[in-house]
Formats: sequence, structure tokens, C-alpha cells
Amino acid sequence: MKNNSEYIIEVKNAKKVYRMGKERILAVDDVSFSIKKGEFCCLYGASGSGKSTLLNLMAGIEKLSSGQIIIKGHNIHRMSEKGLAKFRQNTLGFVFQSYNLLNSMTALENVELPLVFKHMSVKRRRKMAREMLKNVGLADRQKHKPTEMSGGQQQRVGIARAFVSNPEIVFADEPTGNLDSKTSREVMDIIKRMAKANNQTIVMVTHDKGLTEYADRIIHIFDGKIEEIIDLKAEDKKDNEAPTGNTG
Amino acid sequence: MKISDLLKMGLRNLFRRKVRTILTVLGVVIGCLFIIITISIGHGMDRNFETQVKEYGSLTTINVNNYGIIYDEDGNWAGGQEQKLDKKLLEQIKAIDHVRAVTPIIRGEGELYSGKYRTGISIMAMDKDVYDDFEFPELSFGEYPTDEDNSVLIFGYYMPWEFYDEYYRSFKTVDLQKDKLIFKFYNWQYETNKRKREFTLPIKNVAKMVETKTEFDYNIYMDLDYFEKIYMQYCNTLTLEDRKKAIKVLDEYQQIKLNADNIDNVEEIQDKIKELGYQSDSLLLYLKPTIEASKTLQLIFLFLGAVSMFVSAISIANTMVMSIYERTKEIGIMKVLGCVVKDIRLLFLFEAGMIGVIGGVIGIGSSYAASFLINKYGQPLFGALMSGGMPMGEMATYSIIPIYLPLLGLGISIVVGLLSGYFPARRATKISAIEAMRTEN
Repeated sequence: MKNNSEYIIEVKNAKKVYRMGKERILAVDDVSFSIKKGEFCCLYGASGSGKSTLLNLMAGIEKLSSGQIIIKGHNIHRMSEKGLAKFRQNTLGFVFQSYNLLNSMTALENVELPLVFKHMSVKRRRKMAREMLKNVGLADRQKHKPTEMSGGQQQRVGIARAFVSNPEIVFADEPTGNLDSKTSREVMDIIKRMAKANNQTIVMVTHDKGLTEYADRIIHIFDGKIEEIIDLKAEDKKDNEAPTGNTG
Repeated sequence: MKISDLLKMGLRNLFRRKVRTILTVLGVVIGCLFIIITISIGHGMDRNFETQVKEYGSLTTINVNNYGIIYDEDGNWAGGQEQKLDKKLLEQIKAIDHVRAVTPIIRGEGELYSGKYRTGISIMAMDKDVYDDFEFPELSFGEYPTDEDNSVLIFGYYMPWEFYDEYYRSFKTVDLQKDKLIFKFYNWQYETNKRKREFTLPIKNVAKMVETKTEFDYNIYMDLDYFEKIYMQYCNTLTLEDRKKAIKVLDEYQQIKLNADNIDNVEEIQDKIKELGYQSDSLLLYLKPTIEASKTLQLIFLFLGAVSMFVSAISIANTMVMSIYERTKEIGIMKVLGCVVKDIRLLFLFEAGMIGVIGGVIGIGSSYAASFLINKYGQPLFGALMSGGMPMGEMATYSIIPIYLPLLGLGISIVVGLLSGYFPARRATKISAIEAMRTEN
């Protein structure tokens, strides 16, 4: 309980085992770490290292095999389905690699969607969604469908959707995975700027070493285990000690 | 999700897949149409049947005649028997279960005179207490017999026939309310006592029924007690020998008429009467094959309607299942974004129910149109299907839609929609978010 104020996410001995036929695959192997409120945390690792699985576990999308994940003092794998849905509405935002926008809806409606689930009035949620689209620089694209937009624009809609309900934590799973390097940087800047503005916690999964520089902390995952945790912020404060070599 | 958002989203999804929605709705339309039209034709048949039957008399009436015709099992004539209808039998019949009203009938043959003009009449003397049970029609003038005054002679709408003067060979229509009438019994059977004055009865109290297009129109009625009274007076004018013979007539009835409390009990009562050794007649006996044929026809129609509704239920379920496959990813995204499972289920149920509602409404509209067309152009087909003929004169209606029928049609459509959407909806809620988001669409 003493950590409640300091750590917003606590992962304790998290383990995830997949069964592929007779084989058991240990995707996440006894991982423990904590993330502070307002931190930009990066789960970095090669593809297949289990970092995405770890993110999904933290978001409650996948079930843990064993261990605990505590967000804001709630053990999210002990929650009911309805409770988890409500928790997601209020506390969590998601940015996906493949954007995951609803193609039948306009950009504005996509951004509104999390607020629709929260029973918010049309007027209020429309205003908030417009504001968000403006923040990500898509004020003139409100009425466009996802299929009428570029990848970068779609991802910005995705970011607006993730931040619209002002969640305390935003999970981003390879948010720039489908984008070129220039747009990637734009998108990352937006995420960083938005998170800073409201002191939101970001947990981002990436295999791109270049993107780790946006993070305050890098958790390097290899074969389902934490290989090392690099605290960039702390290093900054400690007057630029030689950065630990980032193994690629 | 708020209801308004749910409706908006559901309608959008239906609209998105226009062609599929239209085809599914069409299935419901046909099912709903079929059910409504089927039942409406049933109502049409019933109505026709009723009007037709009323021309013959009530379906719950059973007659026991003094000459009983015996039918074999197929309803063919197999002989006849003299039947003695007396007080004893009357009491036995009264004791049978489900018999509501019983009356003996004595026919009095006689003549009415208006001056020199005369006409023959046949009086049906019935117990005045059961007139109501046999649904005697309203009177255009006069009153039915009461305990105080039972002397009334009640004429059916077409009674009496025209009066005839044999000498001048001329006809005269009598005004029952103004002209003086005198009644006499036919006296060819018995010899009048020469020392007594011939029996004549001035008719002072008459009543006339309105037109019913039933047997009432051609009969003349009198209360049994009053009839017996005047008959005894008549008998007193006869010779001693014939008087005894004539009085015996009162002990034996021409007919016993009884009424069952319910149409379903008519057969049972007839069987009981048979056990007593008497043959009886009822309209139901003649009409039974017709009734059964029309019931079978209605059942077949209803079965077709049910089948088509079942097919459209399958079609709705199929549409919803397809839609879930297509929208797996969408469902996954909604779940991750914090949509509660209940809302997803409601969304799918709403979409399925909406297909039912739209189909039902269009189905109701088209069934009114179909009903109109059937009534206008359906004569050759339905005239043949409805055996037993149509009511005379007026234009027959084959399809009648009572007010409850469209509501029923709509209700069935919605229920079918919801039921066939229920399992797909449940399935939608079970989709795992992570699996759903991995699928491409």
C-alpha cells in the first residue's frame, strides 16, 4: 500500500504460458517491475520477445498465468468483466500499431467512441472529441472516414481516441510500426506532448531503438525476461553519466 | 452506452449492409404476410360460415322428430323409424348433461279467415320459456307471450301467406294489425258434435318477427300452454269418440327441440339420445364435414405461415452470424475501449429485433394490400376452396383482418427477430478482445 502514491503500475512475478499443441511457450517469464505516475516507459525488445504480450497483460486484455498486476491499487486480473470494462473507460487509453479505427465511422465518431461507452451526452463528447482532433492537428479531417486518410493521420486519430477521456495511463503497442520515420517522429512528438500536458503515464512497446529516446525509462525484454532497466531520466539528473550500452 | 447511441449504432450497421438487410427483412415480410393472411382467411371463412349457417338455424340446436332417419357411419340414409315422443322422453332428455333448454313442439294445422278469404297455417306450439334459448328474433310489432298473457300468435316475417277467396278466385294481403282474423282447426280428421257450435277463435293478439333470413321467417309460433288450452276447447266440440282420439294428440309431440350449452357438446348429447333409442338431427351433423374441411385448410395455411416464419428466423440468425464474423475486429476494439459486454449484446439484439420490426411493419402493410386483392379478385380460387357455398346476394369476403391481427403479426416478427438474434448476440460477447484485434478485415 505504501507504494500506491508512487507507483501507478506494479507488475509482480507476471508469467504467461501459451500452449501450442503439446508445446508450452513461456511468453512472459516471471517479470516484476513498477512504473511511476507520469512516467514514459518503454518496453523494448526484438519481435517475439514477449513485450507485446506483457503490454496486453498489463492492459487486462490477456489473462495472466500467474503473478499479479496492480494498477492504481486494483488487481486487474481479479476484476469482473464489467468492472474491467469500466476501469478501461476511466483509466486506460490504447494506441495500436494497426490503428484499429472503425472504418464505418468518421474520425470524429471514432474519437468519440470511448466517451459513448461512458454514457456521456452527445454535446459534451462531441466538443471534447473536436478539441482532441484539433490537438493532434486534424481539425479539418473530422468528417473523413479512416479509409480516406493516410497512415499518419489515422494514427493521430487513434491517439486522439486514446487521450480523449483523459486516462491516467495510455498503452501504446508499436504506435509507429506502420509509419515511415518522419511520420513516426511526428506521432511520437504528439504522444509525448499530450502525456506531458496532463502528467499521464505512457507504456509503449517498440522494437525501434530510435524511439526509446522518447522514454524516461526503458525496460529491455529478451526471451520473456527483463534483461535490463535503463532509467534515462535519472541519468539526465545524474549529469549525463555515460549511457549504458543499449544492446540491440 | 445510452439507448440513443445504441439505436444509432444499430441502425448504422443495418444500413451499412443494405442488400443483406433488405433480403433478410424480405424473409420476415413474407413470413409475417403469410401468417396474417392465413388467419385473416380463417376469419373470412368463419364469417361466411356463420352467415351461411344462420340461414338454417343455430348450430347448437338438436331436433328429435317423430320419424327418425337412421344414418350409417358415412352419413348415408340407412332407413327410418317411427319415434314416440312423449313426456317421459322429454324428462329423460332434460336429464342429459349439457342440455340447456328443451321444448316439445306440437304442430297445429288450421286455417285463418279474414272475411271470406282464407289461408292455411301451421302453428308451432312451443314452450314460451325457451324462446330466448332458441334465439327468437326481435318483433316488429306485438309482444312475446308472458305469464300474464300467453295468447299471442307470432308470425314469421313471410307469414301468413296470402289469403285466397275460392269463390271469387282472388288474393288478398291481410294487414295483421287492422284486419279481423279468425282461426279454426282443420276438421277433416274428426267429426264435430252436431249439437255444439263449431270451434272458432278470434285472433286478438298478434306479433310479427323481423326478417332473419332463417327458418323463423316461415313459421308461426304460439305458446304451448295456450295452444293446449284452445285445443282442448276445440276437442270439446267434437263427438265423444273422436274427442278421445283428438286429445291423445297432445300426449305425443311432433318434435322435441333442444339446445346444447356448447357446440362441442352437440355430438355427445346426440349420442345420449341414441342410447335412449331415438334418432336426432342437428345442423352440426350435416355441416361437420364442411367445418372439418375448412379447419384442415386453415391448419395447412397456418403451417405454411409458421414454416416461412421459421425460415426467416434462420435467415435472420444467419445474417447476424455473418455480421459477427465480419465485425469480430470491431467488437474486439469496442471491448478494449471499455464497452461493457451487455451493450454489445444489446447492440446485436437490437439489430436483429430491428430486422423483425421493419419486416413486421412492411408485412402488415402488404397483408392489407393482399387482403384487399384477395377480396376483389380471389373469387375463382377461394370460392372453390370454401366448400358449402357463399352467402347469397352480398359480395363475399374471403379475408378479414381484425385489429389484433397486425399486432400479432408484428409481435411474432419481433419475437422471431429477437430469438434468432439472441444466440449470435451471446456469441458476439464471448469473442476475446485479443483474438478479435488480431483478425484482419
